[in-house]
Amino acid sequence: MLLGFEPGVYLWRIIWKIKRRGIGEGEGEGEGEGEGEGEGEGIAEMSSELDRQIEQLKRCEALKESEVKALCLKAMEILVEESNVQRVDAPVTICGDIHGQFYDMKELFKVGGDCPNTNYLFLGDFVDRGFYSVETFLLLLALKVRYPDRITLIRGNHESRQITQVYGFYDECLRKYGSVNVWRYCTDIFDYLSLSALIENKIFSVHGGLSPAISTLDQIRTIDRKQEVPHDGAMCDLLWSDPEDIVDGWGLSPRGAGFLFGGSVVSSFNHSNNIDYICRAHQLVMEGYKWMFNNQIVTVWSAPNYCYRCGNVAAILELDGNLNKQFRVFEAAPQESRGTPAKKPAPDYFL
Amino acid sequence: MGAPEKPHPNTNSMQRVKVYRLNDDGKWDDQGTGHVSVDYLERSEELGLFVYDEDDNETILLHRINSDDIYRKQEDTIISWRDPEYATELALSFQEPSGCSYIWDHICNVQRNIHFNTLNSEPFHNVNSEPRELPAVELSTLPLILKTVVDSGFADQLRLTELILSDQEFFRKLMEVFKMCEDLENIDGLHMIFKIIKGIVLLNSPAIFERIFSDDYIVDIIGALEYDPEVPRVQHHRKFLKEHVVFKEAIPIKDPVVLSKIHQTYRVGFLKDVVLARILDEGIGANLNSIIHSNNAYVVSLLKDDSTFIQELFARLKSPTTSQESQKNLVYFLHEFCSLSKSLQMVQQLRLFRDLMNEGIFDVVTNVLQSQDKKLVLTGTDILILFLNQDPNLLRSYFVRQEGFALLGLLVKGMLTDFGENMHCQFLEILRNLLDSCTLSGPQRDTIIDIFFERHLGQLIEVITAACPSENTADASGKLIGAGQRFQRHSGTKPEILSNICELLCFCVLHHPYRIKCNFLLNNVIEKILLLTRRAERYLVVGAVRFVRTILSRHDEHLINYFIRNNVLKPIIDAFVSNGNRYNLLHSAVLELFEFIRKENLKLLLKYIVDSFWDQLVKFEYLASIHSLKVKYEQCLDNGGTKDSTNVVDLRRRNDERALEREEERYFNEDSDEEDVASASVPRSQKGHQQPNLSNGVAASYSHPRSLVDYEDDEDDEDYKPPPRKQPEASEEDDGIMESLRVKRKLPSKDKEPELVKKQKLSKNAKSKDSVFAALCSTLSQAVLPSKKTSISIHTNARTVEGRMGSSEDNQGDVQNISRSSSNNSSIAAEDNHVEKEAESSRSFSDCLQAKSENIQLGGEERPLVAPTSSPEMAVNGS
Repeated sequence: MLLGFEPGVYLWRIIWKIKRRGIGEGEGEGEGEGEGEGEGEGIAEMSSELDRQIEQLKRCEALKESEVKALCLKAMEILVEESNVQRVDAPVTICGDIHGQFYDMKELFKVGGDCPNTNYLFLGDFVDRGFYSVETFLLLLALKVRYPDRITLIRGNHESRQITQVYGFYDECLRKYGSVNVWRYCTDIFDYLSLSALIENKIFSVHGGLSPAISTLDQIRTIDRKQEVPHDGAMCDLLWSDPEDIVDGWGLSPRGAGFLFGGSVVSSFNHSNNIDYICRAHQLVMEGYKWMFNNQIVTVWSAPNYCYRCGNVAAILELDGNLNKQFRVFEAAPQESRGTPAKKPAPDYFL
Repeated sequence: MGAPEKPHPNTNSMQRVKVYRLNDDGKWDDQGTGHVSVDYLERSEELGLFVYDEDDNETILLHRINSDDIYRKQEDTIISWRDPEYATELALSFQEPSGCSYIWDHICNVQRNIHFNTLNSEPFHNVNSEPRELPAVELSTLPLILKTVVDSGFADQLRLTELILSDQEFFRKLMEVFKMCEDLENIDGLHMIFKIIKGIVLLNSPAIFERIFSDDYIVDIIGALEYDPEVPRVQHHRKFLKEHVVFKEAIPIKDPVVLSKIHQTYRVGFLKDVVLARILDEGIGANLNSIIHSNNAYVVSLLKDDSTFIQELFARLKSPTTSQESQKNLVYFLHEFCSLSKSLQMVQQLRLFRDLMNEGIFDVVTNVLQSQDKKLVLTGTDILILFLNQDPNLLRSYFVRQEGFALLGLLVKGMLTDFGENMHCQFLEILRNLLDSCTLSGPQRDTIIDIFFERHLGQLIEVITAACPSENTADASGKLIGAGQRFQRHSGTKPEILSNICELLCFCVLHHPYRIKCNFLLNNVIEKILLLTRRAERYLVVGAVRFVRTILSRHDEHLINYFIRNNVLKPIIDAFVSNGNRYNLLHSAVLELFEFIRKENLKLLLKYIVDSFWDQLVKFEYLASIHSLKVKYEQCLDNGGTKDSTNVVDLRRRNDERALEREEERYFNEDSDEEDVASASVPRSQKGHQQPNLSNGVAASYSHPRSLVDYEDDEDDEDYKPPPRKQPEASEEDDGIMESLRVKRKLPSKDKEPELVKKQKLSKNAKSKDSVFAALCSTLSQAVLPSKKTSISIHTNARTVEGRMGSSEDNQGDVQNISRSSSNNSSIAAEDNHVEKEAESSRSFSDCLQAKSENIQLGGEERPLVAPTSSPEMAVNGS
């Protein structure tokens, strides 16, 4: 059984190496020589360990604290290299909010294909609300570390210390690990997540929406994103704003952060940045996706039966190499496929 | 929590039947598949059997139940009869035996009622209406009980709850049936019992919970819940509880009630988290939590009042003869005990923690932190965190005593220790909590800060210097730093630890600006911290940039001067340049730093950067931020000569002259020495303080007074279009102040070239350490004085109410006004900056007075920069 897998692992090991080198060469900083024999060995070892962890996480079994720590440190090194507007190549599959609905995310991968084979862009809100924020986020993060060029994670408004303390991720970490250390490490990683993505220079992707402080993509460049999501300002707006039909220009958001923005704002943004449309998440759509303002902005929502009770379907947006769109709609995972929660309480107790 | 169930999917399969009719050839014709029910016939009080097609809902069968004995039940799943009205043989074939026996019972019931009604004309009660009584619990009645439990509507549920509770024997009998089914391996029965128990749990009745969680039943209830028909494999919860779960008694607990509660709590928690996790909704979860919560409170309060228990606990914790193993268990117990005390009322918990402190819990923790067992050490830190969450001053008061020094030292050491794969972020958390100026008060304040800065700051800095490449190599390699050292690994300290140190230092800059400033000015500390830019890990380089950015957010003139004098920004610029065209976090962080300098109009820095580094930066001029930096720089130079709005300003100025003259005198009296560390920087530094407070009452972002600043704009950026709001009037007045100040001051030009050469002024600075504070205090007190400022602060205060945008708008006003006045500059840029800043900052200071008086301690050297609610850590503590 294991032997059968060996060639595959080896193949990925090589691809990994090539990709790592590719980044260095592409930017012409001559860092190749640092990657000696020892380094290569280390990466291979890391990859097989990571593969094991990914398999474990795919069974919805959380990692040990020590593994979370190591994973987060590796992720930090990768994420720190990403741009505030991360460039993404087509073909790519865009996914909206997941919110800890682990088994529904497995449905997503069934519909969209497994990670290294399909190129993914996740638009944030991995955690909170659902039962499995820990497993969901760690799986995505492990995939990111394992296949940095095949999956892009950007930050949602729930990737925040303050929000996760209210909507479940904090409590889930406390329940599953008995301390909030895992929460601390994960929220530290949140600070490194990129803020938006640009697909083939044509599709701008962001979790929430636009900001009155941002009229060109280049203005996003000067945000020092490594911080807790602020309560206002450009970074906050990108993660919090919503498009709204009845608003002309900018309006106050009922969410208490970010803005509502109307069709004219989207038109002028798309025009001045020469992009086709904006792809965002952040709002529940019963049909899984929704176009607005004459196909200038689309909302993609990927948490079916949101909070296990909303009765909505979910969608992902598949873009082929020519940016042709195909929405794939899917429903919540059937009850039978949901394992019982992996969590076993501490086997000993004093009180 | 909890997925809402589809309405009785199990009854659907229970009711699923095929209908057959015997044809003339003696064969059974399949009439279709549907769901069977018992209901009233139309316009009649008689009951009938209905079968509706499962696809199109057509009626497949309608049969009036006959009182005669015509029905036969075969093989558990078939009911057949000869219909007297149509003279045909009919049969229902059930998918599930339980459905068959359920309908069979109903037919019998209806027949009984028909007989009964002939004697006594009481109408039959519809099966779907309120249950009047529960059948006796037997294997054969399980389907009926299940039907009653599952089918009950809301009103019925109350009635059902009553029925279950009034029958004292109900659960005993149900559990007997369960054990019987389990012995006989009767899976149908076990599935039905599972569904019954699940239905009863879903009634969410605290009284029922009390009964089924009692010692008598809880294990069997958990057993019954192992047989979920929707989960393919049978669960082994009881086995887990029996074989894997260990109840440890660090100190024997004698009270049987307490013991029973302890076990119950664990099992209810197990039910909630494991057994029932998938079916619970929020309401049930809340009820289970409240059971756990009240049990915990009960246990903890009984134990804490048991003085012999507590004394024995501490005696054994402190006794040198206690074995390591039991020492460990005692500490784990102590941790659980403290942790569960969250269930007590606040006052009680506080009292408990005081008692524990008096018993010497911190001495115990001090010992624990010296243990070789890393896990045990971390448990010790968890105990401290529990105390800090309750009241940080308890722990701080321990540091006032001599013994406390050791503990603080251990905490700093812990932060610097490699815990291998264990997480050890608790140390940083604890130190931050201890040093948090928002919660600091009383005598502990100075003690703990003194100890920390005197004994431990140097230690932190040393770790950084030891872990970074030495200066020589870096200087020699010049531009190659970034690339060449990418893969250099420095033995010893893990990057994670360096990153934590950097974070703690940023925190100190925000919370103890003056204290840390002395260190910065005296010992080249900033330069040492910036050695981090030579590390290979990019996130450490970013950390160093953040550190610089945090200092600059203080608007501290002396630090800025220091930066320029000692060429402090060089490593930052080098890191930026060697990062090349990579658009990564380092790139953005440095650009943001430039933007901040430009938007805040920090002219000295602007000039320093462009003058010193433009040849390096020029190749990045295509970046808007770099370009505007240069433009701004040129504007500053150009505007040196022009002056066009003096008239307006002159008019406005007259009103203010008196006050301003006074202020000016003071200014000159103090600021006689341009190198004096103590110039007007104090009130200015309050600017950062003002911002979080204004922001909407909501906590400002985690240690970034800058979040508001991001929004600020000046004339260079036209893109920012916030919803329209009127410009604050105060800005014009400020304008006046600045203009008049500038006009009235006829100082000799101080536009000296910033000293790019490193020129140590250590001796001077060292001498002035004491005078620094004296001067700071006097500046502070005078800043509040001018009467002029009071009126402005009233404006500001009113504006804070305006809402969310109000704060950033306010700042925008400030900045626009600064830049407007600067463009009208007649005097030299550098000096002008100085004066404006003073006026502005004293204004800010009085704003602070209005906005947040509780933070103000006049004459105090330290005031929190961060609003009390602004740190998310605080919120963490609260929960």
